Amino acid sequence: MRLKKTQANGQIAVKRKKNVFLRMLEQWDLQILVIPGILLMIVFTYLPIYGILMGFQEYKLGDFPGMSQWVGLKYFKELLTAADFYRVLRNTLAISLLKMFIGFPLPILFAVMLNELQFPLLRKTVQTVSYLPHFISWVVGATLMFDFLAVDGGAVNEMLMAIGLVKEPIGFFMKGEYFWALVLCTDIWKELGWNSIIFISAITSISQDMYEAADIDGATRLQKMWYITIQSIMPTIILMFIFQVGGLLNANFDQIMQFTKQMTNAMLRDYADVLDTYIYRMGISLRRFSFGTAGGLLKSVVNFALLCLANKIADMVGETALF
Amino acid sequence: MAKNPNKIVAKKVVSDYVLDTIFTVVIILVLITTLYPFLNSLAISLNDADDTIKGGITFYPRVFTLRNYELVFTNPKIWKAYGITIARTVIGTVGGLLITGAMGFAMSRTGLVARKFYTIFCLIPMYIGGGLVPTYFVIKELGLIDNFWVYILPALVNLWNMILMRSNFAAQPEALEESARIDGADYITIFFKIYWPISTPIIATIALYFGVQHWNSWYDASVYIYNQDLKPMQTVLMSIVNEAAFAERMAAASGGSADAGAIANMAKGKSTNVRSITMSTMIVTIIPVLIVYPFLQRYFVKGIMVGSVKG
Repeated sequence: MRLKKTQANGQIAVKRKKNVFLRMLEQWDLQILVIPGILLMIVFTYLPIYGILMGFQEYKLGDFPGMSQWVGLKYFKELLTAADFYRVLRNTLAISLLKMFIGFPLPILFAVMLNELQFPLLRKTVQTVSYLPHFISWVVGATLMFDFLAVDGGAVNEMLMAIGLVKEPIGFFMKGEYFWALVLCTDIWKELGWNSIIFISAITSISQDMYEAADIDGATRLQKMWYITIQSIMPTIILMFIFQVGGLLNANFDQIMQFTKQMTNAMLRDYADVLDTYIYRMGISLRRFSFGTAGGLLKSVVNFALLCLANKIADMVGETALF
Repeated sequence: MAKNPNKIVAKKVVSDYVLDTIFTVVIILVLITTLYPFLNSLAISLNDADDTIKGGITFYPRVFTLRNYELVFTNPKIWKAYGITIARTVIGTVGGLLITGAMGFAMSRTGLVARKFYTIFCLIPMYIGGGLVPTYFVIKELGLIDNFWVYILPALVNLWNMILMRSNFAAQPEALEESARIDGADYITIFFKIYWPISTPIIATIALYFGVQHWNSWYDASVYIYNQDLKPMQTVLMSIVNEAAFAERMAAASGGSADAGAIANMAKGKSTNVRSITMSTMIVTIIPVLIVYPFLQRYFVKGIMVGSVKG
């Protein structure tokens, strides 16, 4: 009996020392399920990460990517001193912050309201309908909004004129000043329901006992909503907010590209040009490859730093952190 | 979400009724605001173009006609683009489910050799990516410019979907795997014959995500594809919206050659206009999503919750 045990232990010890590749070969039937995905990731995810080298080099047409002459931080300096850069940064931050402080709380409010709603059928209907716009593209979203907000015959202008709020139709897509509000409102229209799902499911898991206890203590409805519902889903809210902060420099490329007709609408550019569209215009349309790469890298580094910072703060305050 | 029926019913006070009213009104307003742009476009697409110009279309067609759709469906360009969109959606969804699903399954097995390495390998790209320009280069160097596979290959692995599937498979009882192993089944069989069939909610959810992603994608087509024959529906819709001339040509081409069509059009007093064509093309673009979505909806809320439990 004893002998057997040592033998077994010995076998395990031998197994542990075996080469990783041999062990992978032994369970080929499991490895073969991961490896295609890993190979695809090497090509389509890791090669572009390698391509970041171009941001530190002087890429010339015909060079093998990553093998050009090193120029250090030249393109980062060029980016930070570019004439349009601060306008681009302002637009990016303005749109992101609007989405963070107005666009972010609304789905929470919506989830809480749905939870308080007394009519289950209405609740189901609203949920189904409100998730729907998430599943259409911004190409379609923009098509809808161009028509809905059109100057001649757009439903919104017709309505505003019918109730006498305005005399002349408003050219929503013709003035840069409207653009931020436009982007914010349409984004809420498209994503409100979808963004509320995670909060709705968090609310579902709150124990009913807490509400009953509060009833016995004579809490009002609003008190219950604030002290029980909102407080219980706080970890989810914090987590989502950390993600939101980590995306500060992404200002919805798809939406803005479609709203500006791929940045060809010159009337909007002063307010619509954000980091992503700028990188696209410079790097892909104008073929300034090294410049565009540097811009992309700067953006993702800053985003990552912000994510870490937000996470650190949440951790310090004692709230749930991401990592 | 359903309220516990046995809960101690607190007395309703006046303020409760006020709150109930406010909430109900707000929710109904959200419902209307979300739906109205869709209904308005649908009404315009089903309304006679000459009548539409007069304005005032709300949520129902005033002079019903299918003429706008006729024009859209008789355009060969639309059929071609629709074919491309369907092809990429079907191939992309099936391929994505297989590759990403297999990956998620393997990574949910605790016995996977080099599991830690794979996990880190998949974690890094969630925080740092190459960006637009380096990605463009990789695609170019691979010779995928003007190639249908540029729609499929880069999208076969989706890490968020992989994590959702991994958490789902990890949540299934381990005994399933153990008993099959004892019977001598290999992992490929275990995945397809045992785990796949019991994972309908998550598979439906991920299929919806992949499908919608492919159906809606426009960026790859506008950056990597120059060949007009390979352009998907979203790109066609973009050209209709961006160049009014495109839609006019489409309307004009309704009868035989463009010239004849234009003349016929004039004779009929311009029986169609750009707006009607745009709206009907848009509706044609979203119809499949609208049809599929309600069937999958009951799954995806569940699917998301499975994923969010383990994050």
